[in-house]
Amino acid sequence: MPVTFTFGEMLSARSVIGTTLAELGKTHDNLWVLTPDIGATLVEFQETFPDRFVDVGLAEQVCVGIAAGLAYDGNIPVVSGMLPFLSMRALEQIRTDVCYPNLPVKIIGTHGGLVGNGGSTHYAVEDLALMCALTNMTVTSVGDPLMVGEVLRQSMTLPGPIYIRLAVGKKDKVLYEEGQHDVRIGKGIIARDGTDATIFTHGTTVAQALQAAEDLAADGRSVRVVDMFTLKPIDEALIAQCADETGGRFVVLEDHLAYGGLATRIADVVADRGIRLNAFERLGIPQVYAGFGDDEELRDKHGYGLAATVAATRRVIAHPSWASSH
Amino acid sequence: MRDDVSWQEGERPSVAELEERAFELRSKLLHLCGTYEGAVHIGGDLSAADIFTALFHYGLHVDPHDISNPHRDRFLLSKGHAAVCMYIAMSMRGFFSYDGIVETYGQLDSAYGMHPCKVQLPGVEASTGSLGHGLPIAVGMALSGRHRGDAHRVVCLLGDGETGEGSVWEAAMAARSNELGNLVAFVDRNRQLMTSHAEERIAFEPYPDKWRAFGWDVVEIDGHDMAALVKAIDDLPAPDSDRPTVVICETVKGKGVDFMERNLAWHAGSLGAEDLQRALAALEASRQKETV
Ligand SMILES: Cc1ncc(C[n+]2csc(CCOP(=O)(O)OP(=O)(O)O)c2C)c(N)n1
Ligand SMILES: [Mg+2]
Repeated sequence: MPVTFTFGEMLSARSVIGTTLAELGKTHDNLWVLTPDIGATLVEFQETFPDRFVDVGLAEQVCVGIAAGLAYDGNIPVVSGMLPFLSMRALEQIRTDVCYPNLPVKIIGTHGGLVGNGGSTHYAVEDLALMCALTNMTVTSVGDPLMVGEVLRQSMTLPGPIYIRLAVGKKDKVLYEEGQHDVRIGKGIIARDGTDATIFTHGTTVAQALQAAEDLAADGRSVRVVDMFTLKPIDEALIAQCADETGGRFVVLEDHLAYGGLATRIADVVADRGIRLNAFERLGIPQVYAGFGDDEELRDKHGYGLAATVAATRRVIAHPSWASSH
Repeated sequence: MRDDVSWQEGERPSVAELEERAFELRSKLLHLCGTYEGAVHIGGDLSAADIFTALFHYGLHVDPHDISNPHRDRFLLSKGHAAVCMYIAMSMRGFFSYDGIVETYGQLDSAYGMHPCKVQLPGVEASTGSLGHGLPIAVGMALSGRHRGDAHRVVCLLGDGETGEGSVWEAAMAARSNELGNLVAFVDRNRQLMTSHAEERIAFEPYPDKWRAFGWDVVEIDGHDMAALVKAIDDLPAPDSDRPTVVICETVKGKGVDFMERNLAWHAGSLGAEDLQRALAALEASRQKETV
């Protein structure tokens, strides 16, 4: 059999979206699913609830606009698509039509980060900066494919909009065992505990951070990994707690522009709360044209791959502390 | 003045030669799809292969050895996911090395990837891939050409699904408002999007009337009939006329490979070694059928 790919099938998390939406459609008769021609994994919902499924074709702006209209009338619309196009082409609809009136529209999609080898048009690399800037928007980035279902389920009770970012690809690892963590929108997850430093991350790079922590453990380093899957509202208490418990040594790793995403969110909390750190490093995408290549190659090329993560974590651990240098 | 990039008398291939090149283009596409392990947008490559051949081997006044000649015709691939079809068609015209494409496609630091990138590949006119961007850029280039008094044309290839984007119609209106007779759109009317057939979910019809309503001259042809493509190109109004033209090319997605034709599963895909042989055989068989 020839192998065919649609963007949907390439991502196991996508099938989780499909089954979760079909399940939620049964309990919520006001749940609608809309897509701009990215509907391959929405088939179950579409077949079960054809009256509440809308494929508008290549028209991201109208897709979000229609979702706003549906939400005004008491419905819960989920817009599923590719994030570079949803977050940018439809940005004004998201801001003005959805966020401003605080409507319960969910924007979920793929291609967050340098993933999928589509080239610069197909990488959403500034989406989290854009979404975090929007009033009322809850912003998430989910790496564990099963967690995607949990976040979607929880989002049903949110009064306002939410953005759910996924990567793309066949390599999505299930990171957590069922019930291992208390997954709650707005709360970070300590994916691995440690005391020498914390790596904060989200989405695709959670797996990489866990690997870095594992590699450093071989050297006797104890590194905490926090899956900060909610960027907004950010878990301020956990940031303060990690500063206390891991020597004020932070690495922020993300498949997003190094400035404007999680690192910026955390730096803001550190500044606003006057949290004293000993070392802070950010690893993410520089403002360059990213090029082609597979996900891992691109991360290495742009300085936020596994080796860079291990090296940065070593540096923050080795950095002299405030107390000793002053 | 456009003399330096114009086709010279007797230089243009015949319809039969163009058909031969289109066949070669399709074979090369299938080879790439059979050897590259990632997804290739083979459906929309095959539907546009004759259009690319007619444009790069007959229509466009361009010089592969002088890619920034100001008098060249501009070509914008608005349906950027057909990039590899463009790369190969351009390589056959002498722009790029075919081996270079095959050896590096999609790899780290390659100039040739899923969507055309001007930053990495001089010779393409703009980076595209996000649908709905090509025609607005084409309008800008046509305006500039008109302003400079240059006689070149700006040609833009769009997918039919792509014309769902509002920006396409905003550009269509701007083109008419600015009387851009030097602008030509080709629509690959293969009647498929990524996940549905036309009219199943999206009402495109009455399609040619939509363009007419925006003030464009509309030409409707079979996009796999090379003689018709050549005639459409020959009959284009002079670049200094005042109405933009759209050539709506009726096509089949996956054209030439029976198991890909009109099959939504082949919007994008990858052939293994065995299925490559099956696809090549199907392509050969479809040629036999057409010459009978
Ligand atoms: C703005 C935007 N939205 C979505 C996509 C993903 N996408 C790529 S091709 C495609 C279908 C395009 O259909 P059509 O324009 O008819 O092209 P063709 O049938 O020739 O492949 C989609 C949805 C994209 N590249 N850009
Ligand atoms: Mg089409």
